[in-house]
Amino acid sequence: MNTDEKTIFARPEGMTDIVTHYCPGCTHGIIHRLAAEAIDSLGIRENTVGVAPVGCSVLAYNYFNCDFLESPHGRAPAIATGFKRLRPDMIVFTYQGDGDLISIGMSEIMHAANRGEKLTAIFVNNAIYGMTGGQMAPTTLQGQITSTCPSGRDLNETGHPIRMTELLSGLVTPMYLERVSVHSPKHIIQAKKAIRKAFQYQIDNKGFSLVEVLSTCPTNWGQTPNESTDWLEGNMIPYYPLGCFKDSFADEDK
Amino acid sequence: MAKILMKGNEAIAEAAIKAGGNNYFCYPITPQTEVAEYLAKRMPEVGGVFLQGESELAVANMIFGAAATGKRVFTTSSSPGISLMQEAISYMAGAELPCVIVNIMRGGPGLGGILPAQSDYFQSVKGGGHGDYRLLVLAPSTVQEAVDLMMLSFHLADKYSNPVMMIGDGMIGQMMEPVEFPDVYEEPELPEKTWAITGAKGRKPRVVRSLFLDPNKLENNSWHLYDKYELMKKNEVRFEKYKVNDKNEILIVSYGTMARICQTAIDEIEKEGVSIGLFRPISLFPFPQDDIFTEASKKNIKNVLVIEMSTGQMIEDVERAVVGKKKVTFFGRTGGIVPSPEEVIKKIKEMVSKKSKTKKKA
Amino acid sequence: MLTDSRSQKWELPQIEKPINIIVGGYGSGKSEVSVNLARYLALDKTFVNRPISILDLDIVNPYFRSREASVELEKLGIGSINPEGAEFYADLPIILPQIRGAIETAEGTVICDVGGDDVGARVLSSLAGSFHAATYDMVLVLNLSRPFTSNVAGCLKTISEIEFSSRLKFSGIISNTHLMDDTNEEIVLSGIALSKEVSKQTGLKLWFVSAEQKILNIIESAYIDIPVLPLNRSLLKPWE
Ligand SMILES: Cc1ncc(C[n+]2csc(CCOP(=O)(O)OP(=O)(O)O)c2C)c(N)n1
Ligand code: SF4
Repeated sequence: MNTDEKTIFARPEGMTDIVTHYCPGCTHGIIHRLAAEAIDSLGIRENTVGVAPVGCSVLAYNYFNCDFLESPHGRAPAIATGFKRLRPDMIVFTYQGDGDLISIGMSEIMHAANRGEKLTAIFVNNAIYGMTGGQMAPTTLQGQITSTCPSGRDLNETGHPIRMTELLSGLVTPMYLERVSVHSPKHIIQAKKAIRKAFQYQIDNKGFSLVEVLSTCPTNWGQTPNESTDWLEGNMIPYYPLGCFKDSFADEDK
Repeated sequence: MAKILMKGNEAIAEAAIKAGGNNYFCYPITPQTEVAEYLAKRMPEVGGVFLQGESELAVANMIFGAAATGKRVFTTSSSPGISLMQEAISYMAGAELPCVIVNIMRGGPGLGGILPAQSDYFQSVKGGGHGDYRLLVLAPSTVQEAVDLMMLSFHLADKYSNPVMMIGDGMIGQMMEPVEFPDVYEEPELPEKTWAITGAKGRKPRVVRSLFLDPNKLENNSWHLYDKYELMKKNEVRFEKYKVNDKNEILIVSYGTMARICQTAIDEIEKEGVSIGLFRPISLFPFPQDDIFTEASKKNIKNVLVIEMSTGQMIEDVERAVVGKKKVTFFGRTGGIVPSPEEVIKKIKEMVSKKSKTKKKA
Repeated sequence: MLTDSRSQKWELPQIEKPINIIVGGYGSGKSEVSVNLARYLALDKTFVNRPISILDLDIVNPYFRSREASVELEKLGIGSINPEGAEFYADLPIILPQIRGAIETAEGTVICDVGGDDVGARVLSSLAGSFHAATYDMVLVLNLSRPFTSNVAGCLKTISEIEFSSRLKFSGIISNTHLMDDTNEEIVLSGIALSKEVSKQTGLKLWFVSAEQKILNIIESAYIDIPVLPLNRSLLKPWE
């Protein structure tokens, strides 16, 4: 686990004390904590249900101290829709990787967002398929080497990496869309704010919100934890700019 | 309640509401779209949930999420749509979530056609998606039976915490028949849904899942499911016999509306002195294997004739039931062609005359 | 036999306009009524507005449509315009260009069979420019045994919904209350009573009552004081 993280956080009530299975330096763990902290601080743990993806975070339900559903690969937004429509009084969030959300689950996320489902999506973009061992994802950067693009991603063959948050911001219905990162304490604080806000919007019944979190995969990137935070900052952020892409209630907020 | 006239699809929708299944997700496909159209009007009246999803893939997953609340949920579709739902159906079987899925079958494979067929038998009774699982499968032959079985489906889904599938060929959905609904659907008491996701208030968090990374646990889960299916085999076999008696030369096995065509044929040929009995499975899983064996083993039965609107699917289960004791013959039409009573009679006559010929030789 | 119906004890329907649009929801029996009306007119030697044709404008029902009787009707000289070949069976809402032509020229007597409540009646709206007020009658087939038309309020709602979606006005109703094989005298008579009430409240003319010949045979003729169209069912289920 990242040392930075330890100094910043104590274990939130929203998390169990089970040690996560994530690789050393993997930022999935930080993102879990941010979500759990938001749930704690908003006092919604007993009324919240998470939807776990298929991906490295498939076991997320072991670490969160709230009810959980485990979804087929990419379908978390449909699962969450079905649940939320029957229980509009509960808080529902999905936690999805980039393969899960953009590749196999593109249709489900687009339509859930467009229907304005009152959901919170936490979208972890690590530019690769972690769980299956480092294959190309729709977010893999140009020239980035993965096991299924061993000479680097060729844009002529595979198109450009998808900027999902920008894509979603082309829809009218979503209420809040922001991209954040967790590669430094400063960014973690920003990410925490964004995730909290995304939950708050659901509590206020405002509509669909999604926070894209840039994340590392030292194992499949073949880098040390420190190298990978540097790589994220130097390569991902230029292509995936941080910031808020849509906030329909921005004025109210101020 | 007085009898009213309803299209099968509408009756199925209304029956679901009667049974408290007022949470419905759908995607349009002929010949079952009337269910969606009917419920788009009805659900707001009863305060239920109605949502048209973006695909059957999504719809089935919405059903998964909705079922996890512990409330009664259902969807309806037709063959190609049911294929797309198999992912979530497998997940629901694995996670032991109750739900009801209706397949108003049309001709396949592929886009096939829109006319009635029974060619999704294998898909329905042998699992359908990946993994070691079964659905409880019911097959009505009249609109009234569709109403009764639809209500029963919700009960059985809860009783066994398992998806239940009701299948009917397109005619069941499209035809008009008089039906009667009970004022209230009465059912035996069910166990509490201690797995329902309701928020971890004053209790430990609950997880609804089908993932078991430890092979021992996965195996345990599979055997646990197996035990459940064995229990279904013990308790839930349903069938109907028509003119089955010790004068029958042939035992026809047929289900759904096809069985009604067989009944007409049996009545006709009876006038010519040929006695035929009909065995109609109502539960396709569990399959009435032992009862078919008993009937087929009777001395007077020379031949078992399986009639389906397919190229022959249920026949495999009938053969398994008869275990070689009697010859099992098949007759079927498929692709949306519905066999007429005359065709069935012709087939029966062929079999009867063949037999008398062999007799003569001997 | 149908020809017998002329010698029946009942008064028979009179058809006046060249275009007769028969509208009804699922289970109203409007296809059976359309087919029987066409056949009745064809067999009626005194009926002069010929030729007689039937247009299947049902875009909502995939099975049990009037087009399934087209071969039988053709033998009686009744024309029809149906998609050819495989498209005959399609669930595409196919409205052939010739249909617009047939409505515009309105030669002889045309019976249009329109399916499925307001949703199905939308098809008329797409043809709206082709209908001229003077040349058409639009009539609603009512079946009291159907959930949405089981009382006067339901019928009035159905009428206004269909008029809205079709952009055409009704001029009459047909009482076709039945419960398939469970139909009895009481059902037919209570249907007539309902239709009369709807007729009174809307000013729409009650054209006739239709019922299967075998039911009519058992009804006392004094009980029915409106024209009658005896039905001989053509759109049967395979086991019937
Ligand atoms: C239908 C289906 N296809 C493929 C897989 C295999 N699979 C599991 S996770 C995964 C990709 C996960 O990548 P991502 O969503 O980026 O999450 P990460 O592991 O990187 O956190 C794939 C392809 C699967 N489980 N189900
Ligand atoms: S493989 Fe990558 S994403 Fe998965 S746990 Fe390891 S570092 Fe994290």
